[in-house]
Amino acid sequence: MKPKVAFFDFAGCEGDQLQVANLEEELLTLLGHVEVVSFREVMKEHSDNYDIAFIEGSCTRLQDEDRLKQIRKNAKIVVAIGSCATIGGINCIRNYKDLDEVRKTVYGENAKLFDTYAARPINAVIPVDAYVHGCPITKDEFLHVVKSLLLGKKPDIPNYPVCVECKKNENVCAFERGQFCVGPVTRAGCNSCCVNEGTICWGCRGLVDNPNENAHKEVLIKYGLTVDDAISKFRLYFGWQEGKK
Amino acid sequence: MKVISKENFADFINALIVDGSWNVVGVKSKGNKFAFEPLESASELRLDYDVTLLPPKKYFFPQRETLFTYDLSNGFSAKGLTAEAKPTIIIGVHPYDIAALLQMDEVFSETKSDPYYFEKRKSSIIIGVNIQNMSKWCFAPSMGCATVEYGYDLMLTDLGNRYAIDIGSQKGEKLLEKYAQHITNALARDTQLVGQKKREIVNMAQQKLDFPAELIPELLKKSYEKSEFWEKHSEKCLSCGSCVLVCPTCYCFDVKDNPDLSLERGERMRTWDGCLLEDFAKIASGENFRPTKPARYRHRYFKKGRYLFDRFGFISCVGCGRCSSNCLPDIANPVSLFNDMYHQIPDKEMLMTAVTTPEVKIVTEENIDYVPRLATIVKKVPMTASEILFEIRLNDDSELGHKPGQFVEISVFGVGEAPISVSSSPTKKGAFELCIRKVGNVTNKLHTLNVGDMVGVRGPFGKGFDADFLRGKDLLFIAGGLGIAPLRSLFNYVLDNRKDYGRVILLYGCKAPHELLFGDELVALASRDDVEFKPTVDRCPEDEVWAGNIGVITTLIPQVDFDPEKTFAIVCGPPIVYKFVIADLKRKNVPDDHIILSLERRMKCGVGKCGHCQINQIYVCKDGPVFNYAKIKGVPEAL
Repeated sequence: MKPKVAFFDFAGCEGDQLQVANLEEELLTLLGHVEVVSFREVMKEHSDNYDIAFIEGSCTRLQDEDRLKQIRKNAKIVVAIGSCATIGGINCIRNYKDLDEVRKTVYGENAKLFDTYAARPINAVIPVDAYVHGCPITKDEFLHVVKSLLLGKKPDIPNYPVCVECKKNENVCAFERGQFCVGPVTRAGCNSCCVNEGTICWGCRGLVDNPNENAHKEVLIKYGLTVDDAISKFRLYFGWQEGKK
Repeated sequence: MKVISKENFADFINALIVDGSWNVVGVKSKGNKFAFEPLESASELRLDYDVTLLPPKKYFFPQRETLFTYDLSNGFSAKGLTAEAKPTIIIGVHPYDIAALLQMDEVFSETKSDPYYFEKRKSSIIIGVNIQNMSKWCFAPSMGCATVEYGYDLMLTDLGNRYAIDIGSQKGEKLLEKYAQHITNALARDTQLVGQKKREIVNMAQQKLDFPAELIPELLKKSYEKSEFWEKHSEKCLSCGSCVLVCPTCYCFDVKDNPDLSLERGERMRTWDGCLLEDFAKIASGENFRPTKPARYRHRYFKKGRYLFDRFGFISCVGCGRCSSNCLPDIANPVSLFNDMYHQIPDKEMLMTAVTTPEVKIVTEENIDYVPRLATIVKKVPMTASEILFEIRLNDDSELGHKPGQFVEISVFGVGEAPISVSSSPTKKGAFELCIRKVGNVTNKLHTLNVGDMVGVRGPFGKGFDADFLRGKDLLFIAGGLGIAPLRSLFNYVLDNRKDYGRVILLYGCKAPHELLFGDELVALASRDDVEFKPTVDRCPEDEVWAGNIGVITTLIPQVDFDPEKTFAIVCGPPIVYKFVIADLKRKNVPDDHIILSLERRMKCGVGKCGHCQINQIYVCKDGPVFNYAKIKGVPEAL
């Protein structure tokens, strides 16, 4: 019997589910292996009977936790997809601000009606079995993770920094181009896609397991960033991982 | 020596491109840097470059390479090495990169030759160019690699409006004959000019060793234990691997399976890896054999300056300076490190006199075959909650042909390959046994397979136990946990040839009674009067029954009397076991060379190439996994 698959979204832009919808022909091949029972972005039907749950978005409210726990109860395997779900992502920038101010900025005079708390990744609330990192996720890695799960193996998600992929792709280092990049502490697996296109790594896949953050902040400052700019480079995606809760 | 005008040289390159039978690549600008890339026209060539981002080894040992493709949809088929469509001509290789390729040739041909590398390497043509602009990080002159006298097919020297061409091979000469026009013999002044240019190159370096490079191996030897030195230099290391990934002499790789969306077809590929990366020496059970930054940082320098020197007789650094230029925290510069190391040595005279060059003879026995033989699971016996004994038969009905203590690489296509010691004795014919604990992807998947399912097998690999040498000796087997699995291959061999051996004692310990492996066989030992068997468990939980010894394995050693001069101890267990067991054996006066160990590491390729199982200068997969303690007790990473 084909495993049943469902997609869920929390605080995020739904860009990761869009990447899945954009698989097009490959999505059809994938449907030979799995049955999608819930995927709001592409279908009307919904079922709570599923084996694999893909969750996009951060948890930003206490009441989201109940929904997450219910998904965990229903699913055999929970996969976090996209930065907001895997590492907290850019939602966690607000954790550095006063949350009442944040609410007022978003909801104005109705702020009181909307509850909120520090944004967090899914694994801060429920155990997560696999991760598809990225902002947004790449199709290739999504397929890699799905294939791995179908074959019963742990997906191969690198624990080395983006520099490895930049070197293999023979990119000119962003620092050599006069730019600043957090690739040296960011988990690879994206095939250094942003640097390949001549930009920088923003860190959307989160930190490697044991990043040398201090050494890299020193590098950023040595190459000419102010201390504040170096810190905000790290805050863009690494807020939750750096302990801002 | 020949001379060609720059216009005619451009015509020569364009003729090669137009011809279409070659893959013509050369140095081009890339942003504010340079790279070897396919040439569309000679005008793209930048022979005045300083250094390329990656060395030309990428054409012979690419960043990512398919070892074979497989198809499970109709039985099984695998397709290994496929011939390259066109041979490659690489234009503009600097001498240090040529020196590096010559080193790579030796590495990839030692004992087992790598056909994937040589298939591309042998058909290629190298057109070198003497350095015109030197990278500010380059220290090739210090390493004796600023110029080379061989290793190229053609070597260019820029003489203003013309190139001098030194012909290095018949291939090069024929290429010129066929594609180049208006070539003249060099005049004496041109030859002189080339000589002068080559002498000038040596003085171009901004980075210099303060001492002769020949001292590096000896210098390193004196610095291994200086942990403060290594901690200081590696403190800012990002573990990003940039220094090793851009290195022209680095060759470590990882092997992975990449199934396609059908899940029935896919490829096994290899991809560059680096010993500076955190998980490089980590095995499936989670144990990391080189877990700290200073240890990984030190390993890189030792591999370059000492381990490969001992094995091949060369220092595996050509001074290109790529590592230095790619290291953001500026800690990868070998010149700074070696100079610092040198200035810390008080007695420099001693250093000079201690230098010895190892005698090296590189022998190639056979080609590596990465495509596994097909085999079928014929029996599956669960032993504990996490271990299953598999009996496996090769599909062509041949014997595995292993020696006790050797290992195989077992494949589940689409998942990967794992090194597993053979548990059965070679005296068992027809099929062999593997006792497999589920700890990682491959072993987890193996546990779900059933009798009749197919797996892939490569090997047997490595050096096993020397059963002939042990003949007539008393044998003391000491196994901890899963360590019984490799020992059993020798133990059963000895039992099958019982009269050839002296006393046989087996001490076997595991954590609790329910973790005991090969229980039935061990119980049967009790009825034999020619084997002494003592088991122990670390603890016995309340709901289990255990009548024997309780305590760690070492508590058994004082309980047996043996003659240390006549006895050989054969030990296998998790890393912690060795430390304590060896100490206890020494207390019993067992000589070092009477202790034989089988070690576990991340044996990825099985043939001494990929670098993962290396402990200092030793490749566990090739030089081991069985070692005599006397030979490895001085190897710091071993135990």
